[in-house]
Amino acid sequence: MPVHGRRVGLSAALAVLVATSSLARVSGAAEPPVESEATGDAAKGRLRYTLDGIEVRGNQRTVDRVVLRYIPFEPGDVLDVADPEIELTRFRLLGTGFFSSVRISLRKGRRRGAAVLVIDVEERNTIIVENVAMGIAADEDAEGNSEPITPYLGVQVAETNLAGTGITLGAGIGVAADQFALQMRFADPAFVGSEWAFTSSMHYIAARDFFGIKDVSFESPLLELREVTDYAVVSYSRFGGTIGAGHDLSTSTRVLFDYGLERVEALVPTVASHVRGHTREPIDFDILPGASVLSTINAALIYDTRDTPFLPTRGALGSIRGTLGLEPLGSSYGYQKLEASLAYWWRLPWRHVVSLEGQVGAIAGDAPFFEMFYVGDYTDLLPDRILGLNPDRRQPPNILGTDIVEVRYGNYAAKLEAEYRIPLYVGRGSVYGIDFFTGAGLYGVATSRDFEDPPTGYEGAARAPIDLTYNLGLRIETYVGGFSVAFSNLFGLLPAREGGRK
Amino acid sequence: MAMALGLLAPTVASAQSAEALSKKKLSRRKAKLATHRGWVTMTVSYRDVVNPAIRRKLLSGLPTVIASRTYVFPDKGKQPVALGVKTCRIVFDLWDEVFRIDLQQGGRGRQTVAVNVEGVLRRCAEARRQPIVAKRSLKPQQRYFMGVAVEVNPLSPQMMDRIKRWVSRPKGAGTVGPGDSLFGSFVGLFITHVPDADRAISFRTQPFVPAVLPVIPTKKGDRRASR
Repeated sequence: MPVHGRRVGLSAALAVLVATSSLARVSGAAEPPVESEATGDAAKGRLRYTLDGIEVRGNQRTVDRVVLRYIPFEPGDVLDVADPEIELTRFRLLGTGFFSSVRISLRKGRRRGAAVLVIDVEERNTIIVENVAMGIAADEDAEGNSEPITPYLGVQVAETNLAGTGITLGAGIGVAADQFALQMRFADPAFVGSEWAFTSSMHYIAARDFFGIKDVSFESPLLELREVTDYAVVSYSRFGGTIGAGHDLSTSTRVLFDYGLERVEALVPTVASHVRGHTREPIDFDILPGASVLSTINAALIYDTRDTPFLPTRGALGSIRGTLGLEPLGSSYGYQKLEASLAYWWRLPWRHVVSLEGQVGAIAGDAPFFEMFYVGDYTDLLPDRILGLNPDRRQPPNILGTDIVEVRYGNYAAKLEAEYRIPLYVGRGSVYGIDFFTGAGLYGVATSRDFEDPPTGYEGAARAPIDLTYNLGLRIETYVGGFSVAFSNLFGLLPAREGGRK
Repeated sequence: MAMALGLLAPTVASAQSAEALSKKKLSRRKAKLATHRGWVTMTVSYRDVVNPAIRRKLLSGLPTVIASRTYVFPDKGKQPVALGVKTCRIVFDLWDEVFRIDLQQGGRGRQTVAVNVEGVLRRCAEARRQPIVAKRSLKPQQRYFMGVAVEVNPLSPQMMDRIKRWVSRPKGAGTVGPGDSLFGSFVGLFITHVPDADRAISFRTQPFVPAVLPVIPTKKGDRRASR
């Protein structure tokens, strides 16, 4: 029974001893002891019960074991009603995204002093839109003016509680001009009930990429590729997948591994040259023509102490990611890739938020171009890659007038960016917050050749392939997810003020 | 004044700070204000903080905390000059079928028992001649009012941080590739907004002038307003 120190002295302590020894005799601790423990805290209303069982109610689709996975108590445990783990359990269950409400309560057990932990859940729709990206990809004319030509769209959806098992099955599709990508993903957050997550994915990508700085000449085996006269076009497909595992080292640190295997089929121009700087040179496509295999081992360590992932106001997010292209495991590409990033957020006394983020990456060896660092991933003024597609043909804007315009893919990349956010709205309904943000940064992307043999026609600091990037817009945090409405995509369509782009 | 604030330092974290309270347009609630043994006292009911959901929670067998903070503001100012705190931690004892109440007020604690929800409301959802500030700490002729924030199960910032991490990064989320960062982490965004408390209400009292507050005579053995 829940007892209080003043009322029960030695007799209660003896009762506990009896209960403990009877507990030890019972196989699997299924039978609760007769009495519960009394402590000095009892006088302050701290009650303890022996758990008779755990009852899950209201779950129509989700199987009981998925709910029980998140409950750190077992029948036979002595439950202190003041244990903060009970409240954390509620949020842990809400954090799965499977339930719209979770209520935890106790009811009397079979004997005095025993209780049953009751978990009442209300299930919610678990088919979610994970990511939507859309925008306009652009070309540019000979004077460097932007010419919007094609829209692009990427959508990822997932069922996060497949057949009530807690397993995620996701699918994604990306569409751009003459390109498309399909992706499927499977994740079991507690593989065979363990502390390890199991992940796997498959993808098929049929894409094109555009090479050449200016005055491009090429001969393609495909007639349709010759229609694009300003670029040497590589048409390629990728089909493969990954299999991996993840483990939470702590609430803020997570480690992930995976092995990736894919077949790459590339149609590469037979001959191609362009003018790099002032010198005509052959184009290096960084991909093997015909069929090749990419076999990689990937690992990531992620440290995340942000208070919230979409509109953080404090904390840090750091990651180290490594990729090994393994020729002994059949890869046609042997390379090593290392990336590191660290971002910090601070809330200022006047409640605005400032953040600082740094990223560095390096590749040694012969990585295919789609594994290299792409300028669009570093400047906000060009679209990022979506599901492996690169919808934009443009060279990066050249605000500083450097040889950054001579780079599309690089072996080295770095970025330092600061962002300032002003909360405009804080709500408790379906929209949790709207922040105005503005950011600016400095980034650089370079190949090894940019250091060893820089493009001709650039002198002094202009030989450093770096440039400025900036962005502004709104970030909206809602019940269904976070949205960014950024104007950088529109800014990117404006001609660059300085430096020749083409 | 600083001493008054220090003595009454809150024991629970509050989502509704004095700053937030001063910026809100608060509904007005009639309170009985008086002075007793040198203290300004307040009698007011805030039973409406216990709605049907909280009533169910009271019977859940798990602790429910009802915390009230009463700030004394100058009538035309936004900086509080004093703070009074009262917290009730209520647990329904499943086997004895009584509510065990741990009441903290003015730096003192008291354990008591209520046999039904009405008893809980009487002890925890009402201020009954609650001492808020020493009368001598206030300017006798200045107008003041009291701003009251009541929360059920307020979360401490530490607990809040812990919870946010849970809900933001569900187990098994994330992939190795940075390009797929949204693939898997989006689930957490469903409930990014973790409420500061299960329920919160706030209101203000009518203005008062300390010098003209009625004085409640001290009866022999009356210790209710003693500190």
